Amino acid sequence: MSLSHEREDALVQKLKENFPADIKETNIIRRARLEVTVAPEKIKDVAVFLRDKLGFDHPNGVSAVDYNRENRFEIVYHISSMRVKDMRDLVLDLKESVPRNAPKVGSLVSVWSGVENYERESFEMFGIEFDGHPRLEKLFLTDNWDGPPPLRKDIRFPTD
Amino acid sequence: MSAPPKPVPLTTVESTETSESGAQTLTLSVGPQHSGSGHMRLIVEVDGDIIVNVAPDPGYVHRGIEKIIELRNIIKSIPVIERPSIIDASNLNHAWVRSIEEIQGVEVPRRGQYLRTLLNEMNRIMSHLYWLSIYGVFLGHTTMFMWPLGDRELFIDLAEKLTGARITYSYLVPGGVRRDLPPGFAEEAVKRTEYFEKRLKEYDRIFFNNPLFTSRAKGIGVLSKEKAIELGCTGPTLRGSGVDADLRKDEPYAAYPELDFEVSTRPDGDSFSRAMVHMDEMRESCKIIRQIVKKIPSGPIRRKAPIVLPRGVAYGRVESARAECSFYLIGEGGDKPYRAPNAASILSGREATSPIGHGISPVPTGIWPLFLRFCLETVWRTCLLPGGV
Repeated sequence: MSLSHEREDALVQKLKENFPADIKETNIIRRARLEVTVAPEKIKDVAVFLRDKLGFDHPNGVSAVDYNRENRFEIVYHISSMRVKDMRDLVLDLKESVPRNAPKVGSLVSVWSGVENYERESFEMFGIEFDGHPRLEKLFLTDNWDGPPPLRKDIRFPTD
Repeated sequence: MSAPPKPVPLTTVESTETSESGAQTLTLSVGPQHSGSGHMRLIVEVDGDIIVNVAPDPGYVHRGIEKIIELRNIIKSIPVIERPSIIDASNLNHAWVRSIEEIQGVEVPRRGQYLRTLLNEMNRIMSHLYWLSIYGVFLGHTTMFMWPLGDRELFIDLAEKLTGARITYSYLVPGGVRRDLPPGFAEEAVKRTEYFEKRLKEYDRIFFNNPLFTSRAKGIGVLSKEKAIELGCTGPTLRGSGVDADLRKDEPYAAYPELDFEVSTRPDGDSFSRAMVHMDEMRESCKIIRQIVKKIPSGPIRRKAPIVLPRGVAYGRVESARAECSFYLIGEGGDKPYRAPNAASILSGREATSPIGHGISPVPTGIWPLFLRFCLETVWRTCLLPGGV
């Protein structure tokens, strides 16, 4: 397996050229794994560019991470490509940060419809609102659940 | 004080509505008790006998395993990791230890890699057989319920010889595997896989070449290639829609680069295609198991790995029996992960739209291959079905 990151570097370069002000941070974790942090208000444009121009047509999942010490949530879209066969091993983490006290971001369901249930899960488990989501309601929790979003870091279990 | 729960309707027919076209439609609740296995509800809207809309309701299957993992040592989490889909336990275990090893930078010895692959492939057959038996139940084919569950014992016993456990093995640990091959394992594995391949021919004869089955499965629940990709499908569902994506080939891990096997795809995207992909994969797995016991290298089975997780992030993924299974693991230098969401390939609720346009009767055939997936994969994300399946 080659140790060079030419393909990853080229992807980062293309993103930076097209969105010079909106790509906040990029990080190549290892071969075939890279992270791109984007301003929340521009994430949809970057997502459409990734899908239409760079071939990232396949959503693998969405993870929300609660960084309560830094007072922010991070929403990570794990995306990959099926159309480009040489890129099938590559997973790009498209990340955005929102303040913990006002967690509201734009939904990417219109870009990749497969993220619908993941966003719903992040909504109920972390309390993050996705603007433009077609069905932002509870998925797993009981209908009468009125406690705090249960996967946040400040929720303690009795056994903790 | 929490609000009182919503009243549950006593009849299956929930309401009568008028659709956009002006036709009167009924909303039916298919499940949680239905003609198959797994508690899963579909809210189906029908116009006469024709389905116009479907919404899945997975039920209360979230057990907060993601949160449990955050509170435990990475090694102690291994038995918990397996719980979400115990019929495919070793593949989930593999995704977990791969993520840990990626952050730790630990290399697994080659013999360890082969043993991991061996158990993964045995698990793939067991999981597909379980799937097939429930598929049989959905179709009212009692023989196809009993045979696969009986033949699954062949591999359960084999796994018990290798790992000491029948279903949940906790066999893979960071750095390698727990136990070496027991004496006489290779002969037993060859004997059992050869017998099983003969049984697969019997399955074809009684079920897959049977017009009673094909007439009910062909053209049902069609999921196009483009739709399958857009929805983020992986595994046999995606291959049943004609995409030759398989992580064992696309991102080769463990011993797969050194083994010879084919990726099975079918172009039609219907229930029949998905069923045939499962059948092909069981044949390929038999081939892989025989290759492994023949050419497994000698040497150590594991390397010492630290029990702490250094600061770092990894997205470790494997091709499990049902779909891609991955962990997005964040380490912060302690012995517990900061966060570890299991990003399994959950299906979008809209996948349920594939039976739209059909009559109500083929619902089980059309959606079972998808919905076992829906139940179990939603479950993979931190949740658990009662009884572990």
